[in-house]
Amino acid sequence: MASEAIPAKRIHSAAHDEEHHELPARVEPQVITAELIATTEAGRTRFRTLGWTLGILFLVGTIALAVKLVVDGGDQTQWGYTAATVAFIFSAFGGAPMVAIAPVLAKANWAKPLSRIAAIFSFASVITTLLMIPLILHLPPLVTEGARRRSIWFEGPDISPHFWSMVAMLTLIIAGLALFYSAALPDFAAMRDHSSGWKQRFGRIMARGWVGTTVQWRTMRMRIGMAGTFYFFTFVFVHFIISTDFGMSLVPGWRDAIFPMYHAISSIQAGLAVSVLAIWFARRYLKLEKYLHLDQFWSLSRLMFAFTLLWGYFFISAFIVFWYGRSSSDQMWIELLIRGPYIWAFLAGAFFIWFSPWWWLIWNRVRRSANGPAIGSALILIGLLLDRIRLYVAAWSVPPERIHERFLTEIPKTIWPDITDVLIFIGALAGCLLIVLMITRIIPMLSVWDVQNFNLLYRPINYMKTRAYLIAKPD
Amino acid sequence: MSKSVLGLFTDANKAADAMDSLKAGGYPLGTFDVLTGTPYPEGAFGEHVPQHRLFRFPAFGAIIGFTLALFITSTTSIAYPLVTGGKPILSLFAMLVILYEMTMLSAVISTVVGIVFESRLPNINPGAYDARITEGWIGVVISTDDEQASHAASLLESAGALEIKQA
Amino acid sequence: MQQRRTIDQIHTNRVLLNGQLDTPKWWAPTVIGLGFIVIIGFLVIGIMVNKGLGVTGLSRPVFWGLFITTFVFWVGISHAGIMISAILRLSQAEWRRPVTRAAELLTVFSLLTALLFPLMHAGRPWRIVYYILPYDFARGIYPNIRSPLIWDPVAISTYLTGSTLFLYIALLPDLGNLRDRTSGWQNALYTVLALGWRGNPRQWKLQTVGGILLSALMLPIFVSVHSIVSWDFAVTPAVEGWHSTIFAPYFVIGAVHSGVSAVVTMMALMRWLWKWEDFIRPEHFDALARLLIVVATGWLAFTFLELIFAVYGLDAPELALREMQIFQWPWWLLFVTFVLTGYVIPVGMWLQKRVRNNIALMFWSSIFVNIGMWLERFLIIVPGLARKTPFVYTWESYRPSGLEWFILFWSLTWVTFLMLLFARFFPLVPLFEQKESQTFGDSIKIGRARVPAILREAD
Repeated sequence: MASEAIPAKRIHSAAHDEEHHELPARVEPQVITAELIATTEAGRTRFRTLGWTLGILFLVGTIALAVKLVVDGGDQTQWGYTAATVAFIFSAFGGAPMVAIAPVLAKANWAKPLSRIAAIFSFASVITTLLMIPLILHLPPLVTEGARRRSIWFEGPDISPHFWSMVAMLTLIIAGLALFYSAALPDFAAMRDHSSGWKQRFGRIMARGWVGTTVQWRTMRMRIGMAGTFYFFTFVFVHFIISTDFGMSLVPGWRDAIFPMYHAISSIQAGLAVSVLAIWFARRYLKLEKYLHLDQFWSLSRLMFAFTLLWGYFFISAFIVFWYGRSSSDQMWIELLIRGPYIWAFLAGAFFIWFSPWWWLIWNRVRRSANGPAIGSALILIGLLLDRIRLYVAAWSVPPERIHERFLTEIPKTIWPDITDVLIFIGALAGCLLIVLMITRIIPMLSVWDVQNFNLLYRPINYMKTRAYLIAKPD
Repeated sequence: MSKSVLGLFTDANKAADAMDSLKAGGYPLGTFDVLTGTPYPEGAFGEHVPQHRLFRFPAFGAIIGFTLALFITSTTSIAYPLVTGGKPILSLFAMLVILYEMTMLSAVISTVVGIVFESRLPNINPGAYDARITEGWIGVVISTDDEQASHAASLLESAGALEIKQA
Repeated sequence: MQQRRTIDQIHTNRVLLNGQLDTPKWWAPTVIGLGFIVIIGFLVIGIMVNKGLGVTGLSRPVFWGLFITTFVFWVGISHAGIMISAILRLSQAEWRRPVTRAAELLTVFSLLTALLFPLMHAGRPWRIVYYILPYDFARGIYPNIRSPLIWDPVAISTYLTGSTLFLYIALLPDLGNLRDRTSGWQNALYTVLALGWRGNPRQWKLQTVGGILLSALMLPIFVSVHSIVSWDFAVTPAVEGWHSTIFAPYFVIGAVHSGVSAVVTMMALMRWLWKWEDFIRPEHFDALARLLIVVATGWLAFTFLELIFAVYGLDAPELALREMQIFQWPWWLLFVTFVLTGYVIPVGMWLQKRVRNNIALMFWSSIFVNIGMWLERFLIIVPGLARKTPFVYTWESYRPSGLEWFILFWSLTWVTFLMLLFARFFPLVPLFEQKESQTFGDSIKIGRARVPAILREAD
């Protein structure tokens, strides 16, 4: 029997249909510009209080660092908590810009409103770099009395770890700046055109004549892609350096090929958590619900869930090999990093970074909310801190004179943090947050043009008898 | 005796209208349904959005699989206590691999059972059907008793059905 | 690059069901030819079982050779299916649609093939039952679950069962379609298999939700399978080069690299053989190649870490092994070929848009990858065993016999044979996914441009 093809659909736009609330409404471009630029001025008194508090904490941390340099300078075993702090802030804040890279390269629309805030966190690398300086001073030499310790620098000059870790960190700062600035031009232009006073002048200088021609947009996209790729590679490289030079190679006999990747994976997991917390605060205190929808929380927490499972996978991949190996160095690894003096950090860390977010984020209802993912993120960050304490305090507690042993024969005792360690941690954290806070005063924390672009490519519609939305995917 | 009446449409919107007129004609939800050769967005025909309990199946399967695996691995280890590689008789980390695989296997199998069950398959008596549905035609099917069948058919016809089939 | 076009359902049915309803002329001779080789292969395996493993090149100290390499290779290929099907389904990538079925199928058939290799390698395959199944109640002898050699069959059978069921569930709507298009015994077959599928909203919803749920369940299995295969090696500290913590993710990402490349090979063949130009388009190859650049580079990073941390310990035997693997004849030749074909040549090609959109070049680049990845497994497994170690008084290097090479070749024909056989009865491209992309595909007018868009349900 002859039959004919039928047109599949009848769609008519219903952008202004107010009956339904489940789909986020579209916002006019000029409203977006005005509202987002206004966020740089919002809540002045509250901002000032917060800024001063963070500033004072940062100052206290700096003083504590100076005190520690005087008191514990020269004793490597006392610097484990500082190393853990460096690893923590680098992992958490350095991982956040990944949110601005991978989904954007994969053309995921939902990530667009997040790209700016994620990129801003790369500025925290400044604190990481500064705090690395005292650690570099305490790294044991590569060669002592003609004997070379194990390191990734094999036959390299004696200052290789010191030199390359600084180079790597500076490259990361440049890459972060490139990532941030390459995507910020249109917004500086928007500030030039829509704000007043020093911000307008600043916008004019930074916008560098941006008017938004087709060529400008095209080159900007290309630059973002390149800066993103550059940041990603530098990010992996820095993890490789920090995890080996400041962790693994301080322990004789610790040979663990997966460790840099484990480090990077948990960093991306924590970076996602930092992004979730950032947009949670933005929604709550800057009233940005119009731009930060539950969809963003949902998508981020799905990724966070995946990375939480990956943490478990990377951990067990290393653990089972050591557990089966049963050589002295294998047993030493388990004794030092799992069963021994830091078992409390291991158990609590695994609970917070893996077990609890796993069983929390597994529920779709939790992921489809703002508070659920925020709680999951907090759990992950606590877990990350404990995990870094377990790894770095244990590694730094090995006395430098034992570094040439084939494997560690005697497990050092637990080192507990003293007051300077706690203050340094708080100060470093406050310093990072202060930098981020200051930048959100200079430029909107949500990228104006990205949000406009998101709106342009998103369209709620009526589809036959139901509601749906269209997402455009330009090439 | 219940009867199944099928109205065939080529225009999806007319099929959606037919669903509306059946609803207005007092037929209870769940007695009529729309048949398509491709998934449409949920609720496109104004149909009753089906509820399901698929998510319970994998959880149930996982628990069974885990228990079974725990039983097998621990009992066989204890029953044949041969020390190999210096490992303890009850080696948790070795058992973990098998626990994991059997848990997942059981979860997958029960999910598949769940999909089939919740899809109400196998469907031995499918009622009125037309092969052109898999060619892009749209069927609106209603099961009703003999007396109502002609009324239902007339409703479908007036909504623009090109053909009516009964079974 | 907007290659999507409007195709009505009748045309879709006619073209994508041409393998079943209008079998191409080349099909029967090809299948008979392949079937002949398959039978010879089974005869050769029979001879090997009868004569014993002496007919292979395996000898002290190399007892794991080409069979185990090929086992790892096929398990690797099997990772294509779930990677493509599950990850792309979860991320709602539109370009997955023509790829999923073929990828899942590749998983099933390559796993079936992979399973045969340890069986052959065992010499007396029936004895494997002793160490896998806990059945010997009379003597109270049970499997040693502390051995990774037990984990393998458990993981692989889980993966095989799971992916077969996954394949079947996603086949249901198309079976209903075939039932509507056939008569006679074929109709009877499809009627039974389709379980009375009608295509109501409930069934479609379960198809979608079930697909996502199964994807989410299959992903962790997929990761575990190759990890467990890698632990066959990694938990053995006695062999140099094997005892590395990175093995699990390294094997998994290598498997994804080779598996996705195998999908590219297969897609090109499908496009050529069944003339599915409208459905398998250059844009799909482009997307796969972009994905492969990322996967291959990730894999390279893992390879780099594996090497760095092998020499990191500065243990003399390990250093000697690496020197042999990379610099000594004939291993260096294999190593160079592996690096060139596994990464340098294909990724160099994929970086160019021209190549990504050229199906013939994509086909050859994907073949290169799998040559490289086979060599990678060979270089991981054999050199560590072949090097002279203390207390081994007889040793020689390993040279696979002609019979082993034949069986490697045979396994390729066997997989092709199974694929073609499947393609005679079931569609290789999911029809309902194609139709769904027609229903859900749209465009948004922005200024003067029409930008391709996709419809998403509000929930």
